[in-house]
Amino acid sequence: MAKKKNKQIIRPWCWYCEREFEDEKVLMQHQKAKHFKCNMCPRRLNTAGGLAVHIQQVHKLEPENLPRIENALPGRDGYDVEIFGMEGIPAPDVADYKRRKEIELGLSAGSISQPPPKRAKVENRPLSEEELRRQLAEHKALMGLSTQETTTPVETSSGPAVYGAPQTYATPPIPPPLAGSPPVPPPGFFPGGPSPPPGFGAPPPFPPFMPGFPPGPPPGFPVPPGFPPAAPPFPPGLARPPFPGQPPFIPPPGIPGAPPALPGAPSFSPLPPPQFVPAQISQNASTAGVPPQGTPLPPSSSQTPQTASEPPRVEERTRQPVLSLPNGAILQTNPEFKKPTDLKFKDANFSPDEHRAIHPKYFCAKLAENPSPQADESRGKKRARAEDFL
Amino acid sequence: MSSFDELSYTTPPSPPFDSISSIRYSPTNPDQLLVSSWDATVRFYEIGESGVKQSEAKAKFDHRAAVLACSFSSDAARGYSGGLDTAVRELDLSTEKITNLGTHNDSISSMTFTNTNNALITGSWDRSIRFWDPRAATPQQSMHSTPERIYAIDHVNSTLVVAMASRLFHIYDIRKMDKPAQERESSLKYMTRSLACMPDGQGYATASVEGRIAVEYFDPSPASQEKKYAFKCHRQTINDVDHVWPVNSLAFHPVYNTFASAGSDGTVSIWDHKVKKRLRQYPKYPGPVSAVAFNCDGSKIAVGVSYTWDEGEAGQKANAITPWIGVRKIGDEVKPKSWAG
Repeated sequence: MAKKKNKQIIRPWCWYCEREFEDEKVLMQHQKAKHFKCNMCPRRLNTAGGLAVHIQQVHKLEPENLPRIENALPGRDGYDVEIFGMEGIPAPDVADYKRRKEIELGLSAGSISQPPPKRAKVENRPLSEEELRRQLAEHKALMGLSTQETTTPVETSSGPAVYGAPQTYATPPIPPPLAGSPPVPPPGFFPGGPSPPPGFGAPPPFPPFMPGFPPGPPPGFPVPPGFPPAAPPFPPGLARPPFPGQPPFIPPPGIPGAPPALPGAPSFSPLPPPQFVPAQISQNASTAGVPPQGTPLPPSSSQTPQTASEPPRVEERTRQPVLSLPNGAILQTNPEFKKPTDLKFKDANFSPDEHRAIHPKYFCAKLAENPSPQADESRGKKRARAEDFL
Repeated sequence: MSSFDELSYTTPPSPPFDSISSIRYSPTNPDQLLVSSWDATVRFYEIGESGVKQSEAKAKFDHRAAVLACSFSSDAARGYSGGLDTAVRELDLSTEKITNLGTHNDSISSMTFTNTNNALITGSWDRSIRFWDPRAATPQQSMHSTPERIYAIDHVNSTLVVAMASRLFHIYDIRKMDKPAQERESSLKYMTRSLACMPDGQGYATASVEGRIAVEYFDPSPASQEKKYAFKCHRQTINDVDHVWPVNSLAFHPVYNTFASAGSDGTVSIWDHKVKKRLRQYPKYPGPVSAVAFNCDGSKIAVGVSYTWDEGEAGQKANAITPWIGVRKIGDEVKPKSWAG
């Protein structure tokens, strides 16, 4: 499935010069004409190997005197890689090319290059009743913030997988309604409006590329950015945290200010989780939705920064794309300037990198588990093999 | 000022696709460097010389999320990395094997490898410094809490400087990590953006998001502290408005004790902090300079040009900057005028 989609978005391209082509036939014609043409006679060959043999046998050149392949990028002008159309391109180069394409098109990392295998599996087969029941239980547990691991399906949907999910390649991630920074409309958000800024993801030469529209609303609807009705990539950051964080501060539901209409919440209230609420999450909860820099956190026992000497707990292994001050007492404000000044970076409390880290393109919700040598090792081996092939 | 001339630089093949978060030179080989990037890779390059030897991308390590920091081990056989997925990883540069050493509770922002006890030191937004011995069965050796999120760490000999959010600084003795030897507030009024220690062990330079660099000394005696100072840089007045850019990276020259500063204004300057003079400003690069590094013998400087998120996502789209790494040979421009040796 994923492969098919890749085909649509990545057109055949020539390894020697990185040009794109309509289809593989044209690509092969191009390679014959541009790269596998003998420069001593009019002969055109089908492959680099063929050209090498031809030059050696017909023109009696020693193998070490072979001319480099013509019109090729530096480092790709040798005969040792056997290329035939799209066949034979070294795996690392394919990956590199895809990554570059993603960036060029302004897509999130991995949307072309690493379609998440896990999700596909889940979606592809009908769930048995038992699984459904288990998932429901997990979901409820999660909503009530019990101790569940992060691998429940519900949770996965808030993880990075969503940004890389197959459907999102057509949808540049929508910036979260980030407290503190004005929401930026995704590129080409209004189809009727001005064309997307030049230089960014401009060329959508592929039919399936609908300029930045969340699947939900019909085109032409000026939906306020940040509140897309379908809001695919982002509900968890805002919708969820207030809830788990509530129990410690707010008495029973029904009190004004309690989040309205949280499905399943009242019926599930018996879970008394306060002791389990990691300080980090409750902080997020209390600051979510309020501009972090404008609001010094009131000192409160439940917000005391978690002492770093505690061992990491399972529940902490995910986080929300919210910037929260760990220590409200030392809130920073930029001093005034005496002269008219254009300060390029204005936030006094969070660095550019911290802002960048919660942008959907980069945000990493699921933290690394403590040493998982297996996964990493296999990855390492795979790389090595790919290099050997070069 | 002459304009940017790419020909005076050697550029390695296959640079990162996204912003360059840090550049680190090998401590033993003057031509090898590690580059960590927001494209979730660490790349290992050997820089050649035009016409003599081709530059080579020797290895690429894929990560799960953006990488913010990297470092070489002291024998340069291995590298280390850390970033948004919070894991500390060891990268074997010859076999390309990746080993997971452990994790922080939040993104790792900075790291440095110390010869003092052959340990990797990492700093994170989780407000802790951790020490790692890659060879031990449990690599994490110790953890030390800090009052704020750590933005940058650097060390010289056995002195470790930790730059944090809220303009806080801690100075530690690596051998006595139980409490900081000194706790300071930055002498700059704006957020700390970069940090580098003087190779002569006397002090450090730090820079803020408001185009300004401070030079500070370790010695707490009033006489030494009097010598500290700060100066403006990486700014420009256009129509009576001061445009002020962050200073993203600082690097000291290993021999001459001068230092380079790199700013979002797209320039790199060399400073002689003893005589408080600028020695050189290199022609303006095509985009913000996100990282700068000198090699171990001080014969070359590596410059990473890429967007640094100063103006959020909008800024990235407004002026799409292709990440670029260039290495140039340096001459007497980094040598103090009074240099005798």
